[in-house]
Amino acid sequence: MSAALTLSDKIIAAHAIDPPSDDGSPFRRVRVDAVLGHDATIALLIDEFDRRELAIWDPSRVLFTNDHFSPPSTVEAAEISNAFRAFARRHGVNVMLDRGICHQLLVEHQLCRPGALIVGADSHTTTGGALGACATGMGSTDVLYTLATGTTWLRRPETIRVRFVGTLPAGCSGRDVVLSLLSCLGESGAQYRTLEFLDHAEPRLRQHDRFAISNMAVELGAKFGLFVPDEITLQYCTQRDGRPPEDMTLPDPDATYAQEIEFDLTSLAPLIARPWTPGNVVPISALQRQAITVAFLGSCSNGRLEDLRDAAEEVAGRTVHPDVRFIVIPASQAIFSEALRAGYVQTLVDAGAVVNQSSCGPCGGIDKGVLGATDVCVSTSNRNFRGRMGHWDSRTYLAGARTVARAALLGYLGPDLFEEQTL
Amino acid sequence: MTGPHVEGRAWLFGGDLNTDVIHPPEYFSLNPTRVRAGLFKKYDPTIQPALRPGDVLVGGSNFGCGSSRETSIRSLLLNGIGAILAVDFARIFFRNATNSGLPCLTFAAPEERHKIVAGTLITVDLDAAAVRIPGSGPIGLTPPDAFIRDIWAAGGLLNTLQARGDEEGPRAGA
Repeated sequence: MSAALTLSDKIIAAHAIDPPSDDGSPFRRVRVDAVLGHDATIALLIDEFDRRELAIWDPSRVLFTNDHFSPPSTVEAAEISNAFRAFARRHGVNVMLDRGICHQLLVEHQLCRPGALIVGADSHTTTGGALGACATGMGSTDVLYTLATGTTWLRRPETIRVRFVGTLPAGCSGRDVVLSLLSCLGESGAQYRTLEFLDHAEPRLRQHDRFAISNMAVELGAKFGLFVPDEITLQYCTQRDGRPPEDMTLPDPDATYAQEIEFDLTSLAPLIARPWTPGNVVPISALQRQAITVAFLGSCSNGRLEDLRDAAEEVAGRTVHPDVRFIVIPASQAIFSEALRAGYVQTLVDAGAVVNQSSCGPCGGIDKGVLGATDVCVSTSNRNFRGRMGHWDSRTYLAGARTVARAALLGYLGPDLFEEQTL
Repeated sequence: MTGPHVEGRAWLFGGDLNTDVIHPPEYFSLNPTRVRAGLFKKYDPTIQPALRPGDVLVGGSNFGCGSSRETSIRSLLLNGIGAILAVDFARIFFRNATNSGLPCLTFAAPEERHKIVAGTLITVDLDAAAVRIPGSGPIGLTPPDAFIRDIWAAGGLLNTLQARGDEEGPRAGA
């Protein structure tokens, strides 16, 4: 076996409890640095956790957010939220109550840093990979086990290396990069594997683009969507924490990869995923004209300050189409505050958008803004599976912030969306 | 409880069957009756009422992709699903099922899954890693790793938990 290691190999090895087994088993037990959980999925483990009289191994390493039922819109949701908060209180964990989406709050927290190993009770925990952390989603039973022990089991993933080169065009964002990867690798193209991103683009991808890419790495089936830490990571963490990160673990230069992809960003154009899978990707220019009824700008994938800025730029001085409900949800309250200060919220509201407070919103089909049978939605969220955002017959297209904003103005999606004279 | 054999009728599905289709988000609940009723509700409302304990789901590739919400697994267990056979599984779904003691096995030769006829009684032999079907020889499955079999044998991950305060965590592997 080669001694040269990929980035996730190194991070897993640094957290392993036992030495590698003699029988070559790919399964390892590891310690974790942090656990992320939210109202919906933690609620599923409360009874079992208490029945077994367990204690949380280290409450200071647990991040709990109330973001799915936020604030609750039904009595049952309110009961779930209250049970979750009471559980957290009993076990000495602070709940970030209605402060935003767990994955955004994770990357705003210093526990999410290069080289960390993080388990979250939600599939989009891969977002933390944008800071060089092995962060991955698991179910409630796994998370219960980890809360009690500070450990989990992992199967060593093979790694696909994606090296970005060229220049990201001005109208494109991280969303287009990850949709392009979905288009070429498919919905299970990175299944059980690490996607290791090496950024040699000029200029480098911006941190918010990286968050969008790592977030949707799970849409390709990836266990981790891991950016090799670099000057962009260093700058973000230093600004956030007031000091540089201690660990900047890098892959070995001669590591072996299951697949190596060189991705030239220069020729990228805005992309969109049609119903009902994130892998059903086409260029905007290949769309048939399709009227829309809902535009959603938000989610852990693309509800960041730069997304709000891009949308505000598109709608400034214009009016949302009267048949469109344009819902904007900043991914965290910190982002909301910054967007208020920057004037983006004012611009969006003046154009006719409705701005809800930071939460998951309609993305998972369980909070305000869900779709009816005849709704056609264009959304910056990350999944358009049939029935996910509401009615089984509703249809959702996935795209970046500029596409969502322009469709909200026009009332339709079409090949001419980005043509100058269209607006 | 998972025995060495699972016997039930086969229910056939295609590839990329996602968790929002397996268990629609509007059936997310802490109420077991509601969670049980939501299984495949929008995809095909006739499936759930017709399920019998031990029935086996047979799928294509990327079975269970999507959300980590464990209500999809709970619903399968509440409806008595005994095992799932597929070309391969999405990783969170595989973990969730394994941790709950619900066996997920992959076909040794993916095309052999087409020998399984919908609605027929099949037997999944967990120790031999094979499926017995009427009128044909057994279909080979990929033998699960010892680590996975230990979790099944314990009846799920939580039964491997040792006394509280064991910071190293229990040994799940032999």
